[in-house]
Formats: sequence, C-alpha cells, structure tokens
Amino acid sequence: MIDSTPHAVAAEIAVDAARTDRSVERNVVYVYEAPVRLWHWINALAILVLGLTGYFIGSATPTVSGEASDNFLFGYIRFAHFAAGYVLAVSFLLRVYWAFMGNPHAKQIFFVPVWRRSWWGEVLHEIRWYAFLIDQPKKYVGHNPLAQLTMFFMYTVTVLFMIVTGFALYGEGAGHDSWQYKLFGWVFSIWPNSQDVHTWHHLGLWIIVTFAIVHIYVAIREDIMSRQSIISSMISGEREFRD
Amino acid sequence: MMVLQTPNRFKLDNSGKRIVVDPLTRIEGHMRVEVNVDSDNVIRNAVSTGTMWRGIETILKGRDPRDAWAFTERICGVCTGTHALTSVRAVENALGITIPDNANSIRNIMQLCLQVHDHLVHFYHLHALDWVDIVSALKADPKATSALAQSVSSWPLSSPGYFKDLQIRLTKFVESGQLGPFKNGYWGHAAYKLPPEANLMAVAHYLEALDFQKEIVKIHTIYGGKNPHPNWLVGGVPCAINVDDVGAVSAINIERLNLVSSIIDRCIEFTEKVYLPDVVAIGSFYKDWLFGGGLSGKSVMSYGDIPEHANDFSAKSLKLPRGVIINGNLNEVLPIDHSDPAQIQEFVTHSWYKYADESKGLHPWDGVTEPNYQLGPKTKGTKTDIKELDEGGKYSWIKAPRWRGHAVEVGPLARYIVGYAQNEPEFKEPTEKLLKTLGLPVSALFSTLGRTAARALECEWAAHQMRYFQDKLVARIKAGDTSTANVEKWKPESWPKEAKGYGFTEAPRGALAHWIKIKDTRIDNYQCVVPTTWNGSPRDPKGNIGAFEASLMDTPMADPEKPLEILRTIHSFDPCLACSTH
Amino acid sequence: MSAATETYYSVIRRQGITRRSFHKFCSLTATSLGLGPLAASRIANALETRPRVPVIWMHGLECTCCSESFIRSAHPLVKDAVLSMISLDYDDTIMAAAGHQAEAILEETRAKHKGKYLLAVEGNPPLNEGGMFCIDGGKPFVEKLRMMAEDAMAIIAWGACASWGCVQAAKPNPTQATPIDKVITNKPIIKVPGCPPIAEVMTGVVTFITTFGKLPELDRQGRPKMFYSQRIHDKCYRRPHFDAGQFVEKWDDEGARKGYCLYKMGCKGPTTYNACSTVRWNGGVSFPIQSGHGCIGCSEDGFWDKGSFYDRLTNIKQFGIEKNADQIGVAAAGAVGAAVAAHAAVTAVKRLASKREDAAKDH
Ligand code: HEM
Ligand code: HEM
Ligand code: NFV
Ligand code: SF4
Ligand code: SF4
Ligand code: F3S
Ligand SMILES: [Mg+2]
Repeated sequence: MIDSTPHAVAAEIAVDAARTDRSVERNVVYVYEAPVRLWHWINALAILVLGLTGYFIGSATPTVSGEASDNFLFGYIRFAHFAAGYVLAVSFLLRVYWAFMGNPHAKQIFFVPVWRRSWWGEVLHEIRWYAFLIDQPKKYVGHNPLAQLTMFFMYTVTVLFMIVTGFALYGEGAGHDSWQYKLFGWVFSIWPNSQDVHTWHHLGLWIIVTFAIVHIYVAIREDIMSRQSIISSMISGEREFRD
Repeated sequence: MMVLQTPNRFKLDNSGKRIVVDPLTRIEGHMRVEVNVDSDNVIRNAVSTGTMWRGIETILKGRDPRDAWAFTERICGVCTGTHALTSVRAVENALGITIPDNANSIRNIMQLCLQVHDHLVHFYHLHALDWVDIVSALKADPKATSALAQSVSSWPLSSPGYFKDLQIRLTKFVESGQLGPFKNGYWGHAAYKLPPEANLMAVAHYLEALDFQKEIVKIHTIYGGKNPHPNWLVGGVPCAINVDDVGAVSAINIERLNLVSSIIDRCIEFTEKVYLPDVVAIGSFYKDWLFGGGLSGKSVMSYGDIPEHANDFSAKSLKLPRGVIINGNLNEVLPIDHSDPAQIQEFVTHSWYKYADESKGLHPWDGVTEPNYQLGPKTKGTKTDIKELDEGGKYSWIKAPRWRGHAVEVGPLARYIVGYAQNEPEFKEPTEKLLKTLGLPVSALFSTLGRTAARALECEWAAHQMRYFQDKLVARIKAGDTSTANVEKWKPESWPKEAKGYGFTEAPRGALAHWIKIKDTRIDNYQCVVPTTWNGSPRDPKGNIGAFEASLMDTPMADPEKPLEILRTIHSFDPCLACSTH
Repeated sequence: MSAATETYYSVIRRQGITRRSFHKFCSLTATSLGLGPLAASRIANALETRPRVPVIWMHGLECTCCSESFIRSAHPLVKDAVLSMISLDYDDTIMAAAGHQAEAILEETRAKHKGKYLLAVEGNPPLNEGGMFCIDGGKPFVEKLRMMAEDAMAIIAWGACASWGCVQAAKPNPTQATPIDKVITNKPIIKVPGCPPIAEVMTGVVTFITTFGKLPELDRQGRPKMFYSQRIHDKCYRRPHFDAGQFVEKWDDEGARKGYCLYKMGCKGPTTYNACSTVRWNGGVSFPIQSGHGCIGCSEDGFWDKGSFYDRLTNIKQFGIEKNADQIGVAAAGAVGAAVAAHAAVTAVKRLASKREDAAKDH
C-alpha cells in the first residue's frame, strides 16, 4: 500500500512538507500523527505495567506478613494488570480506528504485503543491511519492510492474542455470565483446560519482551546510523532525512 | 495333553465341559474365568484372565518422581491411597528422604483406614451376595431375626420393628419388578444355606454398612483432602498441624483430631459388633463348604507394613507380618529382600507382553512392560470375539510374578498365616478364637471361608491400630512436635544424577511394591507388582498356576450354568483387576 | 411387571412424605422451572405414575473410584438413590449377576426400555489393538458401549476418564484410551468430570434428571452448569491470602500451618472448574486445599500432562527438554539481548572504522 521507492518518497516528502508547512530544507516528513504518537507511548506504558505485573502473577511475590484482611498486594498487582489490560485493549481499538482515519503510515503495522514480490526483495535488502552486508540502508518514510514484518507478527498479532486470551482469562474470574466470557469464552473451545491458556498468555509476554528489546535497540541504532530521525519521530511525529 | 501335573502340585484336566464366566462381576475391573468341569460338575481346570490394561508404568516414564503418587494412585480407586503411599515410599527410598514421625503416624492411620473401609465394603457389598439370598429374606420372621441378631451381638439396631420396616421396604422393592442390581441374581440357588432370618439380618447390615462406609473415609478426607484419591506428599504428608496458634483452623487442629478420633471409635464398634458377628453367624452355616484353599495351604507371602518407627522398614518395626512360606512349611518363614534380583521376578510367557527372552523372569528394576496381544492356536473364536481361551498360549493382561520361582498367595489370609506361623499373638489369638467359636480345625483356615474370615479379623485389628497411631500422634503433638514434612530434598536440584529405590505396603488385597529408577530428575523406569498380579497371575514357563486358578480346583458346582461357587471363591480374594494389570 | 412397578411417588410416600407435601414439592418444582400451575399437576402426575428410570452403568478402562465416590453420597444416601430413585439394572461392580446372566440384562434393557434408559459410563474405551485392551464378554468394550448407547436416552460420562480420557490417556496413551464423546456422537452426553467427581455432584446429576424430568443445562464443555461453572479458586477459603500475597513457600512452613494460599506449591485451583471449594468432599468434611495440598486440577481436560503438580507454570515439552514459559522466555529474550549487544558492538566497530576511513579520505 505504501509505495516506498525513493522516487515516491521524494514526492511524498514534498506533499507532506507543503501540507504541514515545514521547511523543505530540513527534509522533514510528518509520519506519525498525534494520535499514533499518543497511542504509542500509552501503549508502551501499558505493556510495561502488563509485563511486570504479569510476571508476578505468574510466579507470585514473596509472602507478606500480617493479617490477610490488612493486605492486598497480590490483589493490587492483578488489579494493575487488568487496568493496564483495559487500557491496552481500548487503545488498541482506537489504534485500529485510526488505521482507517489516519495517514497511510497508520495502516502499516496491520498488514504485511506478503503477496508483493518487490516487498520481499526489500525485506531481504534490510536483512542484508542489518547483517552488515550493505553500506547504506534504503530510506523509508514509515517502517522499513523488515520492521513492518516484525511489527506485524511480534507486535500486532501478539498483542491481539494477548488481549483475546487475557480477556478470556478475565472472563473466568468475572464469571461465565459476564460479557468478557460471552465474548471471549470461545478461547476455551480451543484450549479446554484454561491452564493452557495461561501458558500461551504467559509465552506471549516473552514474545513482547523480545520484541521490545529488538525494537528499542533498532530505534536507537537507526537514529544514529541511518541518517534519518527515528526516536524523535515518535515524539514529534516528524521524520527528518539528514542527507 | 489333557491331564497335566503342575510343579506346584495341581492336577489339571481340561477334557470336561468348558464354562465361561465373563464378565466376572462384583469385583474391581474386568475379569474372565474359564473352567472345565468333569461329569460330576467338579472343576478340574481353571483359567483366570485379566481383561484390561492401561499402561500406567509406560505413562510414568519421563515424569517428575514427586508426581508419581498421583498417577499410581489412579491405578485403583478401590484400594485408593495404597499405591500412592507405596509410590512416595519408593521415591523416598531412592532419594534417601526421611519423613517425620507424625507423617509416619498419619500415613499409617490412612493406610489402616483404607484396610477398614475396603474390607468392610468388600464383605458386604462385593462378597455377601455369594452367601446371602436376598429374596429369601422376604420370608423371614422379623421377631426371630431380632432374636438372632441379639444373640450374636449387642448392636442396637436389632428390634423386631427395625427388621419389620426393612422387610416391608424390601418387599415393595422386589414387588416393583425393578430389581436393580439384584436382577438376575442366583436367588434360590442350592448353594445358599442361610435361613431367611440370617438373610434378613445380613441385608440390614448390607444397608447399614453402605451408610457407614462413607463415614470411615472421612479420615482420608481430613488428612488427605478427599476420598477416593486423597493427596500425599514425598517427604511427609501435606496436612500441616497447628493446634493453638494463629490460623489453627486452617490446619489439623483439635476439632479435626476429635473428628478422626470419633470415627475410629465407630470403626471399632462396627467391626466388633456387626462385621465380625456377621462373619461368625454366616460362617456357621457354611462350615462344611471348605473349598477354595488353593495356594493358601502351600505358599503365601506378606511384605509387612505399618511401621512403628518412621523410616524403619525392618520386620521388627513393621506391625503387619513380613515373610514368605513355601510349600506349606509353616515352621520356616523366609525373609524377603526387594532389591535381590533373584527373589521377585515377573514372567510374561502367558501374558500379553513381550520380553526379549520369555523363558526368563525380570526383576522389577529391570522390568519391561511392552504389550503384545496374541492368542494361542487353540483359541476358539477370533481376536476380537473370544469364545474360549487357549491357556497354552498367552491369555491374560496380568503378568506372572514369582518369588524365587514360586507362585504365592497374598492378602489378609496370607498375612494371618505368616503372623500365625511367627507366633505373633496379635494374629494367632484372634484366629484361634474364631476357629474355636466355629468349631473348626486350623486347616479350615486354608479355604475360601478362611480368606473371608481373615479379612474380618484384620479389619478389626486395623481399627484398633488406627486408635493406637492416632493416640501416638496426639501424644507427640502434646509433646510439642508438630512437624509433618521434610523438605530438605524437595528440590530436584538436590538429587543425585541417578538413583533407584523401592517401596512396599500391605494393601488390603496383599503385598504391594513399586520399583523406581530415576535419571536426571525424571522417572527412567517404574514397575508395580500388585497383590492381584500375584493372586490373579497366569501360568509361568514352568507351568505353575497362580492363586485364583489354584483356588478353583476341585470345587464341585451345583449348577455350572449358575456359577455361584466360582464367584464365591474368586470373590474371597477381593480381586482388583485395575490393580493387577495397571 | 408393569402392574407391580414402583413409582417415584410410591417411593417417596413410603419414605413418609405425605400426599400434601408431595404436591407442594411438585408445584415448587414447577415454579422453579418457570412453569405454571398446570405443569405442577402434570409433574405430580408424571411422578405418580412413572417407574424408576433404568440406569445401565458400564465400566471401561478406569479405576472404579467414580463408583466408590458415588457410594459416598450423603444426600441422597446412595441406598435411597439405588433402591428408590433409579433402577440400577446393570453395574458390574455391585450387581449380583455375572456372566450370561449379567449380559442378558443389557439385551433386555435395550429391548424393553428403548430410548428410556440412562447410560452411565465410568472409564473409557481403548481403541488400539482392536479395542482389546479392555475386553468385556470376550469382545472389545467399545462394541458393548456403542451397542448400549444406541438405544439410550442420554449418556452420563462419569469422571475424568469418560469425560476427557484421564490417566490412561496421559501421554503417550499406549492404549489410545478415548473419551466417550469422541466415540458416541449422536446422543446427549453429560460430562461429570473429576478424578473422581464429588459424590453429591454425581447423585445430584442423577436425581436432577429423575426429579425434574429433563437433562441439566450444560456449559461449553458439556458439564452441568450448576456444579461446574466456577473455579475452585473463585470460592476457595484461602483466597484472601492469595489476594493479600500470602503464600505457602515450603511444605509445613509457617504459612502452611496458617493456611496460606497454595499457589506457589502449584495449586491448580485458578484453572479448575469443580465444586470442591463449595460442596466439599465426603459430606462437606474437607477438600484437597483445606487439607494442605494444592488442587491438582483433577476435573480438567488433560490435567496429567500439564507439567508437575507442584509447578505453578506448566512445562512445555515442545521445547526439547521440558521448560516452562518463563525459562523459555528468559532464554529467548536473553539470546535476543545477546544478539543485540553483539550487533551493537559490530555496529560500533564498523562505524569507527568507516569514520577513520572517512577521515583518511578527507586527508
Ligand atoms: C502485552 C500484554 C500482556 C502481557 C505481557 C500479559 C502478561 C501476563 C502474564 C505473564 C500473566 C501470568 C500468566 C500465568 O502464568 O498464569 C498474565 C495473566 C493474566 N492476564 Fe495478562 N498480559 C497481557 C495482557 C492482558 C490483557 C489485555 C488482559 C485483559 C484484561 C490480561 C488479563 C490477564 C489475566 C486475567 C490473567 C490471569 C490472572 C490470574 O490468574 O490471576 N492480560 N498476563
Ligand atoms: C523506550 C522505549 C521505546 C522507544 C524509544 C520507541 C520508539 C519507537 C519509534 C522510534 C518508533 C517508530 C519506528 C519506526 O519508524 O520504524 C516506534 C514505533 C512503534 N513502537 Fe515503539 N518505542 C519504545 C517502546 C515501545 C514498546 C514497549 C512497544 C510495545 C511493545 C512499542 C511498540 C511500537 C509500535 C507497535 C510501533 C509502530 C507504530 C506504528 O507504526 O503505528 N514501542 N517506537
Ligand atoms: N490388588 C490390588 Fe489393590 C489392593 N488392595 C493394590 O495394591 O485393589 Ni485395587
Ligand atoms: S476419573 Fe479418575 S477416579 Fe474416575 S475412574 Fe477414572 S481414574 Fe478413577
Ligand atoms: S489455595 Fe489455590 S484455589 Fe485457593 S486461593 Fe490459593 S491458588 Fe486459589
Ligand atoms: S484436585 Fe480435584 S478434587 Fe477438587 S480441589 Fe482440585 S478439583
Ligand atoms: Mg507391573
């Protein structure tokens, strides 16, 4: 959907620049619109909370002393998890909405053009760049194809999976007559023993952690190496091409 | 070859009419018996077959040894718990884990509770109908029944009105035409000898025992959380003790101890005032039916159980007798060593399994359980529709365990015979007393009746032993020891790379042992040799027949079409087929 | 036979229940079912004239603990259930008849009560070896099961064996032991899982059918909602300790003695649907957790293959040597982290090298 040949990029840069009335000399494109940026950081925060609390839900905290009625540590941890879960889910929905309303980049993380040969060629190109086989990366306004691939599978699909399984598990506690169970109870037709749902939900944590490590590293590295703004893009929304 | 002499001295003759009983009911699991009767309807050849296999030994491979108790417990829900106890003992033996004294007491109480429950349910609900004719009870005179009941016991439920009400209920039940579990029974069969009054009394106790048995198991529920299938723990017991500190109501506390105590009292009362008197009363009408001795007069074995001292499994510490008697030589009780490869071995020549060399037996540490379903050439029928089995080939899912090559009988009678031979007053005196009451010689013990009587005696013994260990537990708690588990070697990281061990118990049906090999914290091999494996064993390569088959030999049948005598004798072992094949 | 057939009504009359309270019971029943007064008299009529429901109880590969559990029922007492509420015409564990006499009952029931008897199945059929890992009357048990299912009104699948497969179906399931609903697909099947199920749950299911004349409402997994719609954890009396963050850390530690939560000892209460924490066991005396051991999830599908009963996290065999989700995750994240670090190092070196090159060029 996104045409990212250098020629098209140049054209887009011009259009974007004109629209947003920014300096053409700085060679800047407005990629990440405000909702995406806002969502990104809320999402990152929610996932931080979910990951930490989720880990503790899985392995439990050291025992606290005193009367049970005076303590609610595990309860709070689970509450934080569920609250962050709701934030994640709602913001994910809004993000989906924005994929339709926002600029073309807003759609990038929701699909991979597996049917397009040229796209695969570019994925290969990116792999070669990261494997130090190529001196210069190609320039992309949005995500580069490899990033898009990773985003789609390790972020979008995984988070969707986490939301579905998370709400299914939540439905168990909320009860079989809750809307959560009515909406997501079908998960237990796939895994009749909810122990399995826990296991998969737990594995999802580690996919996301792995994603986050790579994602943050690449973001910093690209920022330095690829002669285009990366990190600041997620703050200002603008992507600057430095040459 | 129609006539055949077995090394354990039974003369088999399969020329007569073949009778098949399948399913053999009122047992645990699936079993088939085939016999040949001669022209006088006397049994001259007997074939017993275990007709189920689940492969639990195979399933255990590669699992966490600390979980094994739960798997092996599911070998059987009737002798529930005894496999679990055997399993935790095997794991503890392999890993050198010791348990606290309180855990030993609690485990003993649970094991004894099983004995009491299982024996009681067996006698009334699985065995009684072999001796008691329910339909005849309709003809009883309630007053005479009351007089009979009061003459044998001071049990309070014995008024004429009580028996009258029961009889009315029974009559309506029978008249309804819906006989339920009593449908197609052998009512009116010539082998039934009880007068109507004794039948009516027995039916009353059938129902009372049904009500009471659910109370007995509450001891398991308290210490193990549920019954059937209570919970166990490698290194001790899971139920923590806390009698007077914060949170005591979440653990074993005084209320729980009192509940156990009161159930024990009721167990003692019921066995003394109902079970034993019933056995005497019924037995006195069957004194001349002394068939079914089989191997009991020849070779019997008991591993011993109920350690007085925690972690001490020497014969001295075990309250149930330990030893083997071979070829009827009561003067010598031979010692058992579970780790000696020459002693306990399993053969599969006539079992549906495969060994590299089937002429040899395997010690359980090196045991192999690989199914191999094939029928002998003389089988009648097909592979999936068997009419008559060929005992010359493979014919059972039960393996054939042997002690130094001998087929032995195990169970309450074996325990009492070994105890008797060892001159243990606890076992000898009640036996002699019972024999005297019935006016029978010691030799009468080696019979179907003897098996049934020994079980009743043991039930009462076990009820009293529960009292002993419960008091011991309370005394220790009073002295300040509330420890129930040793967790030093709980974590697999603390285990050696390789280990092997065994554990044994005296299950209700007899000598039970598990052998385990552990490698890299996982189960490498697990083998169970179970009481009904011993008793129900098919023939071995030398031709020795097992206890079931031996016990049926030479029994006359009143009507071969109605195999009451076969049921009677086989039931006296309390067969458990799920156990036997596992 | 029919002239003397005992009805539910005569049974409860015999137990001392008056005609008045019988009718009261019927109208209560009608109300609780949301039916009008007319229905009440129809229920009364049905119970007055209906003979006891015939029940055929068959055993496949199992351990008989479901039967053992059944006879522990305190309300109703099992003797009342068997003598007065149902007609347990076939049950190999307790029936008087054996061999031909026993087999004859099956044939007779099929013919006489076609479509009207309940088939209760304990255990399950193995399918390997032509089904001969469980032989009944010389034939594979599965044949007999199919035959009796054919004319049954409905099937009750007792316990984890009949419902899910249970221990014999644990990996590698050498006999191919198969749950009932995978073998019988054209009959209503009520799963009553548990290893074993609670006695009063078992008699509850049976008497629900005989009392209300209908099958209980089932959940997604085919279990009666009334007993299986909540987890052990939802009603566990140790739950306040869970929420507080108070756990047993080691067997027999202070937490164990105070009755803290058994989560860290591997308790599967949070993923197990059963009535243990409410109905409890053996007349309400206790249940596994109350007696200090975690729930092992015995009413759940495949609970034998979810790793050790003492591990909070399931072992996942697919990952070579068994590992749990955290071990796999830490390994994966660690590997990726290391790769990232290495990548960063190479990047830095390269960058330095190319800077030097640039500098050299500039000169
Ligand atoms: C990136 C997103 C998420 C991550 C990384 C995450 C992580 C985790 C982890 C590691 C566990 C422990 C699993 C176990 O071992 O039992 C867990 C449990 C759980 N999560 Fe999430 N989760 C996420 C999203 C969600 C969402 C969106 C919901 C929905 C409300 C949710 C609801 C739950 C529930 C109900 C539990 C079980 C809590 C319990 O058993 O007490 N999670 N989560
Ligand atoms: C310090 C932490 C983080 C930084 C510096 C950061 C930075 C960035 C940057 C620079 C982009 C744009 C990338 C590009 O143009 O290729 C981006 C996109 C994205 N980030 Fe992060 N990120 C962080 C944490 C996270 C976390 C924890 C997650 C979720 C697990 C996350 C998920 C995403 C997603 C899904 C996108 C794509 C947004 C879209 O195209 O709609 N980020 N991030
Ligand atoms: N045979 C046997 Fe058992 C017993 N008693 C076990 O060890 O019954 Ni199921
Ligand atoms: S479900 Fe469990 S308890 Fe019931 S028969 Fe099967 S193994 Fe036994
Ligand atoms: S003991 Fe088990 S069921 Fe009870 S609260 Fe703790 S985790 Fe839940
Ligand atoms: S192990 Fe089973 S008995 Fe209940 S508490 Fe758990 S479901
Ligand atoms: Mg074995």
